Amino acid sequence: MTFDLEKFNPAYQRWVTESLPEFRAGRMAEIVKRYPFVVSDDMPWTPYKGQPSEQTFALVTSGGFFMKDSQPAFDTVSIHGDPSLREIPKTVSQGDIGIAHAQYDHSLAEKDINIIFPIHRMIELEEEKIIGRVVATNYSFSYVNDVVTLVTETIPKFISRIKADGVDVVLLVPV
Amino acid sequence: MTEEAGIPTISMGNVPDRMAHIKPPRALLVKFARGSMFGEPGNVKRQRRIILDALEALKTMTEPGTIRELPYRWQQPDPA
Repeated sequence: MTFDLEKFNPAYQRWVTESLPEFRAGRMAEIVKRYPFVVSDDMPWTPYKGQPSEQTFALVTSGGFFMKDSQPAFDTVSIHGDPSLREIPKTVSQGDIGIAHAQYDHSLAEKDINIIFPIHRMIELEEEKIIGRVVATNYSFSYVNDVVTLVTETIPKFISRIKADGVDVVLLVPV
Repeated sequence: MTEEAGIPTISMGNVPDRMAHIKPPRALLVKFARGSMFGEPGNVKRQRRIILDALEALKTMTEPGTIRELPYRWQQPDPA
C-alpha cells in the first residue's frame, strides 16, 4: 500500500486534538492548512488495455451526493468529515439527489448533477456504443479528513464491490 | 488504491497544487471552479466533450502521473 497509515494516523490524531478549538470556532479553512497531507512516494498504475466500447465504467464523485429519499446525508459537522460512501444508481435523476458537503458551493450541481457526476452523458455514450456499459451502481464520497477509516474500511469495500460488478475503468471526479 | 487493485482510473482536477498532493495516475486538468469539473450546468455538449477527452486520455496516457490540461473556458465555445 502506498499510503503510510502508521505514519499518518498519529499525525492525524494530533491534528484533530490541536485543531478542535479552532474547528469549533468555525475556522475550518485555517486548520486545513495544517492538515498532515500524505504525498505518496510512488504512484500505483494499472496499464489501460482494451476498447472503451467493450468495457464497463463506474463513476465516482466526492461531491457529497446521497439519494435523499432512501439514504442518510453525509455528516457535515464532524471535524473528521464523513468517510462513508453512498451508492448512486445509474437510474438516478436530478430530483433524487441531495448534497451534503460543507466545503464547496454546490448551487450549480443542484441545477445539474452532471457537472460533477456526468451519469446522463455516460448513459448517452453507452446508448451510442462509444462505451460498453455504465455499471448499475456508481458512488459518491463527501468531505473526509479521517483518511484512516476511509482507507481501512470504506475503500476496500468499494473495491470489492466494483470488482464483483465487473468494472473495467473508474472515472474519478473530486470537488 | 483502485489502480493497485488492477482497475485503471482517470481523474478530473482543477487545482494543480492539490493534484500534486494526490498524485492521480492519469488526470485531466480543467479551468473551471470547484464543484463544476465538467463545465456549466446544462452544457451537454461540453460535458460530453470532456468525457470523450477522458476516454482518449485512457488510451494515450502511458506514463504514470500524466496530466493533460484541457483548453475549455467557462461559457465560451469549445475549440474546434
